[in-house]
Amino acid sequence: MSDVAAVEVHQLVKDFKGPFRGKEVRAVDEVSLRIAPGEVYGLIGPNGSGKSTTMKAVLGLVRPTSGRCSIFGRDSLKVDSRNDVGFLPENPYFYKHLTAAETVRFYGKLCGMRGRDLRNRVEEMLELVGLQDARDRRLRGFSKGMLQRIGLAQALVQDPQLVILDEPTAGVDPAGSRQIRDLILELKSRGITVFLCSHLLEQVQEICDRVGIMHEGALVNEGRLDDLISMHDRTEIVLENASEELLDQIRTLVDVTHDVNLISEGNPRTTLESLFLKETSNKRVPKVRQRLSK
Amino acid sequence: MSSPSKTSFFSPRRVLIIASSTVTQLVRMKVFYFLAPIALLFVGLQFFDNIFYEGPETMVPEQQLRMHKNICLGTMMFFTSLFAIIFTALLIPSDIEDRTLYTILSKPVPRLDYLVGKLLGVISVLFIAMLVMDLLLVVTLHYRTAAISANLGHYLTEMGLPKTEIARGQAEVAKHGPTILLQYGVLAHFSKACVLAAVALLISTFSTSTLFTIASGFMIWIIGSFQSIARDGIFNAADFGEAPGLADRILGTLISLVFPDFQLFEAIADASARAQEILVDDMMKLGGLTLLYVGIYTVLSWFVFSDKEF
Repeated sequence: MSDVAAVEVHQLVKDFKGPFRGKEVRAVDEVSLRIAPGEVYGLIGPNGSGKSTTMKAVLGLVRPTSGRCSIFGRDSLKVDSRNDVGFLPENPYFYKHLTAAETVRFYGKLCGMRGRDLRNRVEEMLELVGLQDARDRRLRGFSKGMLQRIGLAQALVQDPQLVILDEPTAGVDPAGSRQIRDLILELKSRGITVFLCSHLLEQVQEICDRVGIMHEGALVNEGRLDDLISMHDRTEIVLENASEELLDQIRTLVDVTHDVNLISEGNPRTTLESLFLKETSNKRVPKVRQRLSK
Repeated sequence: MSSPSKTSFFSPRRVLIIASSTVTQLVRMKVFYFLAPIALLFVGLQFFDNIFYEGPETMVPEQQLRMHKNICLGTMMFFTSLFAIIFTALLIPSDIEDRTLYTILSKPVPRLDYLVGKLLGVISVLFIAMLVMDLLLVVTLHYRTAAISANLGHYLTEMGLPKTEIARGQAEVAKHGPTILLQYGVLAHFSKACVLAAVALLISTFSTSTLFTIASGFMIWIIGSFQSIARDGIFNAADFGEAPGLADRILGTLISLVFPDFQLFEAIADASARAQEILVDDMMKLGGLTLLYVGIYTVLSWFVFSDKEF
């Protein structure tokens, strides 16, 4: 594996000047992180914690006050560093006067693509994000979820090695959110590095290899997801069709064992998202027809 | 999929892509609808004689044509200058507000390419608009000239003048028709619009308000149009017994350095309307001055924009 990190942030500090030369605000405070190629890295934290500013510094959209950022070894402030990057900003908007196909084509051209390669890639991306039926519709009429999907299409058009996603599922319904999650997992399986930030923790938990937690501009914790969320002093056992007798025996065994405590017991729960998807995935039979069929 | 290992500092292809997108944006905003009332005005002028005109004996035919040209060229100048400022003032702030700029600059697109592309897009739209208005002007002026020439011919024939005199009179009228001199005037107005677009681009790179950009653009338009008069007043005040003070001289010099001077542009347009001779040298100077102003304002825009954070 190459030693060159997909993303390297070293002692990044970003201060913003207050209005009328007022007090400076430190948005990012000596953040250092390293994302290996092929990894899915999640940067989480509350609103205003510095996640988006960190991403923008990586993309060269803001200049660090001190510290440095690099993408595949290239300084983020150089235009070259963006050759292999696709970016989806939070709540993206695109030129409303363009159609879906024109939008993806426009960004593909900006990346140096042309001719048949570009045409084929545009069709491929529209199919990937499920917008082939809307290819000739202007973005003016697109819903939030559709805009998000077009955003993904333009981010991936040049087949980047690094994809940066800022709140990729913000405002998207659970079905769309699940599609985006599946897409991220597919990118991961292709060896593409994904750097995302979100405050939807369940989603981050599902897809990320490593996670960094930001708070008030600082990176307060970081590591592999399993390491971060495992409670090493606790064990979970899930039984199916266990009799009451067996459960009593287990409880008794725990009672007599020194230094072992039964923390909780009960039925495991599914997630609301899984339930929602289960209930809404089948086509709904209208009530009139239901009454007639009785 | 391969991607270039080094992005060039400036790419004409990328500039054209952004310019093309800008043209599409402005066209789909239906900006060309303003040409409809202008077309009506130009065509309408055909049917209305000057109110003081009661025949060749009351007004020289050339004055009729000059008035026609003045109205049309003035309209062209007004609308192209107005839209040069407004279109350019809208572009960058809307891209920032919509975050479209984030997705563009997150691709390997140097900021200079983006700025030049936007400016070229606006200039292209102004060029198309100017071309349509010019065609309308040429056609309406052609018919107007023919009608006036025929009218003059009848009048002079009734007066009993020889054919050579009639022909000379009609040739004099034709000189005020749609000749190459007219195109020099159109070019002068178009060049002025290009400079104003570059000025608006510079202001929009540091302005936080579209309204401020438009208002400042208008102010610079007015200053540019009258600064030669003001400068002559300051520097030639000694002719009137008043020596200009040091502050006045410094102010006058600063104004001439910071703001574009449209004196040459106006002079060529005026000479064109009067069908006066325009030297090729003056047209070369106009071209050079336009390129200089547009170049300087674009480079200044780049300096400001390159450090801008989003």
